[in-house]
Amino acid sequence: MMKLAKKLLAMALVLVMVMSLGTVAFARADEAVADLTPVELTGDKLVVWTLADDLVSFGARYQAMTGVEMEVVVIAPEDYPTKVQTALVGGETEPDIIVGEPQMLGDMFSYGAFADLDALGAQDYADQIVDYVWDVGKDENGVQRAISYQITPAGLYYRRDIAEKVFGTEDPEEIGKLFADYPTILDTAQKLKDAGYRIFSSDSEINYFSGDEAWVVDGKLNLSQARLDYMDLVVALYQNDLTAYANQWSTPWYQAMRGPVPILTADIQNYADDSVNVWASADEFAEATEGLQEAEVFAFGLPSWGVLTMRDNVEETSGLWGVCAGPAYGFGGGTFIGISELSEKKDLAWEFVKWVTLNEETADWWITFSEGDTVSLKSVLEAHKDDENPVYGNQKLYAFWQEQAEGIDYSKVTPYDKIVGDAWGAAISSVKTGVATKEEAIEEFYDTVAYTYPELEIDR
Amino acid sequence: MVGYRIKKGLLYAFLVILAAVCLFPFLLMIVNATRNGVEITRGFTLIPGHSLKENMTQVFNYFNPFLGIRNSVIVAVPATLLCAYFSALTAYGLGFYKFHGNKFIFFMILMFMMIPGQLSLIGFYNLCSKLHLVNSYIPLIVPSIASAGTVFFLRQYIISSMPPALIEAARMEGASEFYIFNRIVLPISKPAVATMGIMAFIGNWNNYLLPMILITKNEKMTLPVMMATLRSSTDIQRNQGAIYLAVAISVVPILLVFACFSKYIISSVTAGAVKE
Repeated sequence: MMKLAKKLLAMALVLVMVMSLGTVAFARADEAVADLTPVELTGDKLVVWTLADDLVSFGARYQAMTGVEMEVVVIAPEDYPTKVQTALVGGETEPDIIVGEPQMLGDMFSYGAFADLDALGAQDYADQIVDYVWDVGKDENGVQRAISYQITPAGLYYRRDIAEKVFGTEDPEEIGKLFADYPTILDTAQKLKDAGYRIFSSDSEINYFSGDEAWVVDGKLNLSQARLDYMDLVVALYQNDLTAYANQWSTPWYQAMRGPVPILTADIQNYADDSVNVWASADEFAEATEGLQEAEVFAFGLPSWGVLTMRDNVEETSGLWGVCAGPAYGFGGGTFIGISELSEKKDLAWEFVKWVTLNEETADWWITFSEGDTVSLKSVLEAHKDDENPVYGNQKLYAFWQEQAEGIDYSKVTPYDKIVGDAWGAAISSVKTGVATKEEAIEEFYDTVAYTYPELEIDR
Repeated sequence: MVGYRIKKGLLYAFLVILAAVCLFPFLLMIVNATRNGVEITRGFTLIPGHSLKENMTQVFNYFNPFLGIRNSVIVAVPATLLCAYFSALTAYGLGFYKFHGNKFIFFMILMFMMIPGQLSLIGFYNLCSKLHLVNSYIPLIVPSIASAGTVFFLRQYIISSMPPALIEAARMEGASEFYIFNRIVLPISKPAVATMGIMAFIGNWNNYLLPMILITKNEKMTLPVMMATLRSSTDIQRNQGAIYLAVAISVVPILLVFACFSKYIISSVTAGAVKE
């Protein structure tokens, strides 16, 4: 027995050694240069550390076009800030190019990770990029430190056929009016319920649009009326039985993109009633929910990258969707590129940053290559404004996203948003499920914020 | 006789259920490795999907898992051997030699067991950076010589299972101290060393934080670091199948190690019972 095991181990190891002789294979990199004849390497080299695999394709293409050798290292998003910070604190001159998502940028700016792009001439390009993206890449002193090649404004994805039946129109302009403010949304939700539909699958669909005012103003926590209204909206949606009680990203949530879903109960959603497993297989789920009333879901609220998520999940409802504006402007995610403060090749790195973010040809190629990502270069959005997307009833989405992006006011974003927003989300949850009264939940929210950020002034 | 059979039947039924519970997650992982992201987010099933090939391509799109396995073997095998040998040496020294400060050293080792490794991360990185050991496997292998937890466990084992008379006899015969350790102490404590060796191997194999911080070259990354890059996709859903496949590949070496060395663990459990 032992001998056999040893033999097996030895054989496995040999097999591993033999098969590992190949180098790291990046097929995406191959695809990215499929239409090019690579030029000879110039001997220059840039090291890129990224958390989004997009830059692997960008890097390969840049290398093939310019001959600058690109070493792209992909790091898991949740560990990216730690990795970059350790390397920079340790004084490493590699990487040359670093990236960040909006919620990471504040911290990364504050310890000086990103080099000053203004010194390299970034301001010459200020009006070529969608405004809010340009602003996200500025530090608190207004110095440009990072630029993104994409925009991520949020929109409401709705079913055109249901809109036609219930409201007599499928026009995005008109449907947008049904989501104009919170009371109107409740009204719309009730109308849809009366007609046998549900407005949303989960009650978190309006979240991307809820950042109407900054969480922190002049060092003071700002729990505005709009936030309280948002809480009331979610509670009303939940308690008046207006959603399908799915959780975002769970099985029935995705299922609602394809067609009718069983209407769960509040108890199932918060697991008080475990007769239905919402994370179970489609068949089991269908069986467990037999007898429950079924309904189709009207809308989903997602940023522009939702275009791709929806496309992969809509199946037979493809073509029946449309996208309209939400009650406010909002955005979610996006990869911002900059240069490491310690890089010794800042000029070469700046050429690459410019090529990724400010080059029309690159942006054009990226739209095709990514199969529909939304770029940040105004001129390219303009050029694609008549592109029709068949999944969304041939709507001209690039024009729509550009319009949404123009409305985003980045000054409302603060470094506190993630933690404070999560605490507020928890408060809303406990109110809607009846665990706490509104007053208790708000007190607890204040406590959480006070523990996490003692420096903030809180006016109770 | 019938009662005995029923009892045995019940026992077997119980064990079968227990085994099924233990194996179910593994089975699920293997099944999910054959399904695509959209199917996985819709829920679980035990019927294999048809996406094994796509998942394989996707994994290879990001990295070469065999290169990762090779790198992980290069790190985990020497680290485990060093950990096992030197921990046993230290444990024997602390357990059997009477010298001034013995208790103090043992106390210090206990203290170090309680300090989480993450605390010294930036300092350790700076040290490696100054010594030009970033992107080298040395900082991942050599520190395992000092494994506080393993020393603690082996010391207790050696004290309880090692007859002092054996060592005295060896000394009288003129054996050197190292000879005694290598030829007498190590073989006798083999079950404990094997147990801790398996633990150390799993720990080193799955070690993520240190290699993630210290290795910055794609071709030098260990398997867990490579696997984490699958999560960098813009669309979370798309890589789900590939992640399951990569995890399934990565547990194969651990299963092999278990298959080879689990015999020692079992013998360590029975050893005490027979001897007493």
